[in-house]
Amino acid sequence: MREKLHPFHIGILIYMTQAGVVIFSLPRVIAEHLGYNGWISLIIYYGIAAINITLISLVYRLADGKSIFQIMEDAIPKIVVLPLYIFLLSVWTLVGCMSAKRYIIIYQIFVFPTTHPMLLKLLVDVLAFLLIIKGIYNITKAATLFFWLVIWTIFLLLFFVHDFQWVNLTTFYFHESSDIVTGSFRIFTAFLGYELILLLFPYAEKRKGVMKAVHIGNLLTFITYTLVCLVCFGFYSFDQLKRMKFPMIDLLAYIELPFVERIENLIFSIFLFTSLMGIVMYNWAAVEAAQRILPKANVKWLSAIIVGLAFAVSWIPNVLVEVDAWLRFLGQIEVGIAFGLPLLLIMLLLLQKRREEPWIDYNEP
Amino acid sequence: MTVSNSTNNPSLQHTLDSFNDCIDLIHRTLPDIHVHLVYFDHLVGSDALYRDIINPLTQAKEYELQSLFKKSQYQLTTDSIAVIQGILNGQVAIFHKENVYLLDAYKPEARSIDQSETESVITGPHDAFVELATSNISLIRRRVKSSRLKVLKLAVGEVTKTDLYILYIDGIANMDYVRDLIKRIELIEVDAILDGHMLIQYIDDSPNSIFPLFSVSERTDTAVSKLAGGKIIGILDGSPSVFSAPSSFFEFLASPDDYYQRWLLGTATRLLRFAALVITLTFTALYVSVTTFHYEMIPEDLLLTLTESRSRVPFPPLYEALLMEVTIELLREAGARLPSKIGQTIGIVGGIVIGQAAVQAGLTSNVLIIAVASSAIASFVIPSYVMSASIRLIRFGLIILAGTLGDLGIAMGIAYIIIHLSGLTSLNTSYITPIAPSYFKDWRDVFIRAPFWAMRDRPSQSNTPNKVKMKQKK
Repeated sequence: MREKLHPFHIGILIYMTQAGVVIFSLPRVIAEHLGYNGWISLIIYYGIAAINITLISLVYRLADGKSIFQIMEDAIPKIVVLPLYIFLLSVWTLVGCMSAKRYIIIYQIFVFPTTHPMLLKLLVDVLAFLLIIKGIYNITKAATLFFWLVIWTIFLLLFFVHDFQWVNLTTFYFHESSDIVTGSFRIFTAFLGYELILLLFPYAEKRKGVMKAVHIGNLLTFITYTLVCLVCFGFYSFDQLKRMKFPMIDLLAYIELPFVERIENLIFSIFLFTSLMGIVMYNWAAVEAAQRILPKANVKWLSAIIVGLAFAVSWIPNVLVEVDAWLRFLGQIEVGIAFGLPLLLIMLLLLQKRREEPWIDYNEP
Repeated sequence: MTVSNSTNNPSLQHTLDSFNDCIDLIHRTLPDIHVHLVYFDHLVGSDALYRDIINPLTQAKEYELQSLFKKSQYQLTTDSIAVIQGILNGQVAIFHKENVYLLDAYKPEARSIDQSETESVITGPHDAFVELATSNISLIRRRVKSSRLKVLKLAVGEVTKTDLYILYIDGIANMDYVRDLIKRIELIEVDAILDGHMLIQYIDDSPNSIFPLFSVSERTDTAVSKLAGGKIIGILDGSPSVFSAPSSFFEFLASPDDYYQRWLLGTATRLLRFAALVITLTFTALYVSVTTFHYEMIPEDLLLTLTESRSRVPFPPLYEALLMEVTIELLREAGARLPSKIGQTIGIVGGIVIGQAAVQAGLTSNVLIIAVASSAIASFVIPSYVMSASIRLIRFGLIILAGTLGDLGIAMGIAYIIIHLSGLTSLNTSYITPIAPSYFKDWRDVFIRAPFWAMRDRPSQSNTPNKVKMKQKK
């Protein structure tokens, strides 16, 4: 019997896919685009994500445990859905590889300025490959362990209780905001990751709590982001925050203990776990799509090819700005997928349901 | 031996031929009554031999023998293989005319019951398993006075045919697991299995993993607690190491002492053990990482001490740490192999070499000595020797990663360990239960040792049909 995913683990998996290295720069991005007290806007993005999840729960209810690929193939000829699969596969592979590259480049900037980033990327990709081939059930188990190793870091924010100044928050709201639309896309991509629940339908336990767990995962991401941003807005002055590349890293550098200080590199290293989960989940999603295209192919080989291709593509952008540009573009497409795919699926499921309705012949005696 | 011979009725000549060149076989003749006895002297207890066989036979007349052999202890055997196997199992074969009877008088030489040297406790029972499986079963039976304690007998080893007993409590153990375990044991095809630790490598889920997947113990109270928790235990004749299955990673960090102390003390000890696990894995690696890449992490005052201590050392921290770690491992291995009296000398010599001479010679820094010694001591806090050894080996990997990639290397190493652990199963159950799958109720008996009233359920990993172990007070 194949083991099924419990809602609790799904919640953790979603959180670990959503939260990533973006947390280190998020306060600055918010300050840049949404101005003073921009952190409050996070609730809007959380709300949008929650609406999207509600849309997905509609798919979940209508699908009744069926995989999204099955739904599509039942309604549309396979030859028509193949290009869609290839598109999804490509986007998911690229999102995975670019987020990994981003983590690696940041690490390289801070610690290994002379090391080639692709060498570090190779090691991370090998780890990702080793986890992907273990299957979704084991990925979830690893995500749970990683979660407990990462989540405690949130308590480090307690160090700033003393130096947090409400006056830094000012009484202005969204003053000095600029380019809100582009900014909104950038900020919203920090919440992405929950849409992969679409692929977990056949693996989840048939319980009511599944979609609730996704909501809780999303809520936890929102709480984490809000706490970090609130502390950053209250600790730094607004201008300071706008000029910092990675405010969270500088925040961690401020912590001093009698036997250790400047723990930003250590904590950033621990965030390898969340980054790894992001890469693994997106690449796993790509492998799932690839399996529908080539059903008889060996999963290990497919995973190796996808991770290998992702590695090859990640050679292209060299510097952080380029990677950010790629991620911005891919993020916009992914937002489209997050909303578009559930809408398409709902449409297909409703059509299918209509087709399945029995025809009653009233002329029968 | 031909097939036709083996299926023939057993004869004295055939039996003696089978044991040709076995000088330890005893063939005794009682000419008055035309009886021949065949047995191994060292497998048979002389008391039982005289009381149950020789005395009754010598006192009986030949016409009385038929009625004597009708007693239930004399088993009439018609298969020559059964006769040979019986003799090998410590039975006495009695040949009379055309008939062969087997009578059990098994009493091999065995070590007396003693304390366990590898799993000592401060409080609690001190008797430990010995090499004789029947003694071990008696130790368990004495503690579990229930007809529900079932004992199945299997044989492993094509040549050695070693007895293996599978014990479980009917109604508490999951029978699917029992069947699965038996199936795995029956599939073993090897000439000899000499120890419980060796056996589990043939039947566990991932033989290539560095981690032990079935827990092994020499302690009787541990074995009984596993049985009561719904697990299955296996006793191999000739080995004091009794295995239990299924097991989780966290089981290896628990000691019987935790339950014999007050719960707060038990909890503190358990937490200390988790701290020891972290120290063993990361302490030396962190030293290497900090002194190679992350000097900024050290506060200014401490940095002065550290640089002063490292100023005379000509090697990079990675080599320095590996040198010391290998020396510690050499000392440990030498101490384990040598007699205890010489072992102590090795300890003293090693202590001086490591503690004094290495620093004075400028081969290593004081701070590293502290890091290496702390992680070595911490590794011995882990109660299971096998797990402790696995963790110590993994530590080397982390040190090398720390020396090449700093903190990121350590994080990568830990990520790899977690990825590996996530894929492991023990008797098809998750090895990292109760974290994933998460059974929060079980956390009370994993990360802490909750008071007994708070631990009402058996471990979820056992998947027992009878979950509750304690009645709630009204």
